[in-house]
Amino acid sequence: MKRYNLTAALGFFLIIQIAQSQITVNLALNSRPQPWLSQWVNPINGQMIITYMQGPVQGDAQVKLRTTLLDESGSIIGASNINASRVYTLKVGVNLFTMADALQLQNLVLSGKVQNTLQRTGRLIAGQYQLKVEVVNVSGDVVFARQTHPFFITSYQLPKLMVPADGTELDARVAQSLITFRWTGLIPNTSELPTYRVQVFEILPGQTPMQAFRGNYPILDEPALHGMTQYVWRTNLPMLDNTANQKFIWTVQTLDMEGHPIPSNDMNIQGRSEPAVFTIINQMGAGDKNKKNED
Amino acid sequence: MKQLKQTAVIIILLLGLQANAQEKKYAFSIKGDMGIWYEGYGLDKNPNPAVPDFYSARKPWNLVRYSFNPTFSVGKWEIPMNFNFSPMITNFTTPAGTKQSVWQFLTNPANNFGLRPKIGTTELLLGTQTLKYSDLSTGDLGVFGYGLNLSPGKFRIKLFKGVSQSSVNYEAPTLPNPDGVIGAYQRKQWMAQLGLEKEGSYFTGFNFVKSIDKRNSVSSPPLSPIDPQENMVVTFLTTANSENGWKYHMELGQSFHTLNLNTPLSSVPVEDFKPFIDAHISSSKDNAVLLGIAKKGQDWEIGTKFKYFGAGYFTAGYPFMNNDLIDYLIDARFNAWKKKMNVVASIGERFGNLSRTSGPDKTRQIIANVNVFTQFSDRLSLNLSFNNFGYNAPDLSGYKSVSNELSVNPSYSWSSTKMSHLISATYTKSTYDETIIFVTTHNNTQTALLLYVPTFFDKKISPDFSLMWFKNTAPSIDLTLVTASSGMKWKVNQKFNLKGQLQYNLTTMKPFTANKNLLATAGYEWEIYKKLSWQFSMTANVFKFGTELPGNSLIPIYSGNPQYFETTMRTGLLYKF
Repeated sequence: MKRYNLTAALGFFLIIQIAQSQITVNLALNSRPQPWLSQWVNPINGQMIITYMQGPVQGDAQVKLRTTLLDESGSIIGASNINASRVYTLKVGVNLFTMADALQLQNLVLSGKVQNTLQRTGRLIAGQYQLKVEVVNVSGDVVFARQTHPFFITSYQLPKLMVPADGTELDARVAQSLITFRWTGLIPNTSELPTYRVQVFEILPGQTPMQAFRGNYPILDEPALHGMTQYVWRTNLPMLDNTANQKFIWTVQTLDMEGHPIPSNDMNIQGRSEPAVFTIINQMGAGDKNKKNED
Repeated sequence: MKQLKQTAVIIILLLGLQANAQEKKYAFSIKGDMGIWYEGYGLDKNPNPAVPDFYSARKPWNLVRYSFNPTFSVGKWEIPMNFNFSPMITNFTTPAGTKQSVWQFLTNPANNFGLRPKIGTTELLLGTQTLKYSDLSTGDLGVFGYGLNLSPGKFRIKLFKGVSQSSVNYEAPTLPNPDGVIGAYQRKQWMAQLGLEKEGSYFTGFNFVKSIDKRNSVSSPPLSPIDPQENMVVTFLTTANSENGWKYHMELGQSFHTLNLNTPLSSVPVEDFKPFIDAHISSSKDNAVLLGIAKKGQDWEIGTKFKYFGAGYFTAGYPFMNNDLIDYLIDARFNAWKKKMNVVASIGERFGNLSRTSGPDKTRQIIANVNVFTQFSDRLSLNLSFNNFGYNAPDLSGYKSVSNELSVNPSYSWSSTKMSHLISATYTKSTYDETIIFVTTHNNTQTALLLYVPTFFDKKISPDFSLMWFKNTAPSIDLTLVTASSGMKWKVNQKFNLKGQLQYNLTTMKPFTANKNLLATAGYEWEIYKKLSWQFSMTANVFKFGTELPGNSLIPIYSGNPQYFETTMRTGLLYKF
């Protein structure tokens, strides 16, 4: 019993010493982090800095992190399970952590609707949130430091191609001079207007549309006027050769101010909208050979 | 090494099939075609060089493509081949290095090397195959590999394994390649379908599609956000047709998707899908539904489709598929007025951002169109069409766009004993209103087209003439385009056809003077032998800018009006077996 009391007293003493030493936490979280919470390991989302200034007792400090996710109104929508939290040993001075360490996604218990959205999409519903991180002792009953940081999360939906819609047939006598392309804007709006590049690929004889899209060099790759969602392509294409200029696949690539593809909810991470196919009909001498490209 | 093994397996299987066929000395026949196709492109600019570069080449300078599409019949075996390929690298949306290995050449999405030997109810699939199992599983992509289709009785068994993207190492942007190479992981794909079918009556079965990016397939991996992914889709598909014209379609799908295989294994947020998927912290799971019903009558048809794609529904078989949406569409077609009138109409509505991950509200899109064709008499017909597209994203900034397009196209024809005449006119008015950050812009276009086609009964010449006028008005845009165009076909003899086309464009963007453009094309089709034909065409395009691009705005300063001269030469030889 005496030994037990002695151990408890020593433990209490150490906690007091650590408490007397100074631990601070600084959440340098990007105010608009990536919407996929699993990607918070990337430096672009920021980092967490825990500074440990030694007290009178020499040695490293063992701590755990307690993470709480709050919505805009301050209501708790998720919290980490302190029993399953990883134990960190702080070295004296500055200790750097990724935002994934701060978030503890594997260990985060979310409320029903938020959990459901995360399971289905890997993301949170768009909106304002707060991340609270507390540095606590191993048993979780003493808080050494805490910080709360707000962040806004949203993911972008790429434009939808409107005109020509998928499967449209265009008259050769008009299409030989111009084709008008229209699409919807990026959702939600960005503070800086994005750049839309219109890209058109000719589907060569024997190719499927997706084969042409993935393998061919575009016959058109031009930016629309800044912020505009329409592009008039002055085609200047002959319309009498039955092996050429009959079927096309087009898309819009959405780029940010620096020319990088807008991150969006697709598998390709190229900022390219779901492509659409259009066919040019009534070409001179094309006749039934219009069907040649059809697979 | 694995790729080489896979290629070797395919080649051995092919040779085995052919050797087997030769040994048994079955009757042999071949039908189909083969060809070679070349396109040469040229561009001369004046001034050149100039900053900014006022016109970019829009095609590769040289492009050669080969096609070889025979179907061999050896006894009971039937071996269709589909080889369609280019030795050149023209990839744009998919990464490709400056040089490609044999494996990269075979798996390049631009190329197709496919064989489907078939005997009875057994079909082998070798090489590049674009397999459509269903709308929620796979159907878009060419995959290079091997597989099998079996259809004993009512059972349908399909299996395929292959590569839909070969590995490409990341290359940093440096001279002489300032764009660098973004790189790609090799993506392996497995597909299976197990079902029951009575042809023309019903199909019911399960589809399985799995893909995985091989992390060790590259020595220099692509940079984030291009991360190795894993995907698995399971769908249940049922289609049925009744004898009285009803058609039913239903598909339910569930996808498991791992955004980044480099993230730690974890049963949070979703659990493993054993034995196919070990869940990572970046894994998600979502569902999709497709429903359709249609009824066909003698002079009419009506159908409706419904689809729901959850925000986390992905399939490697359709990598560009939009998700996070619900939509419905109603299609109708019918004949009226003693079958002189044909009406085709559809209306649909789509709701997006159901997950609210892109804003606080759903987006709404309306698509409606109707086309009415009426044959009033032998001479007069009229085609009317109306299209409406609307898109509304009521988030804080309230994005909205509405496009309406009305088109009227009367045609009149008459004839004498020597010739017939066709006059066709088309007028299209299109309005496009877009609201961004509470500011609405009106973007309107009008197009008028007049076409005259005389046909001479006793001459070998068939000309046509057209005039087109186009106007686009929008804030800071007042664009007018006028085109005069004429084409002519001349059947010199039974084996030789000449074609030509001349097109003159005036494009005026107010307040500038007009850009002028002349495009001339000439070509022929020559049936050299009964089975061998040669096509050739040459196009020249001269474009001279007006004051829209003054020469003194370029560096170095140019005293005249900038211009460019573009040529395209296409030629192809086609041999029919």
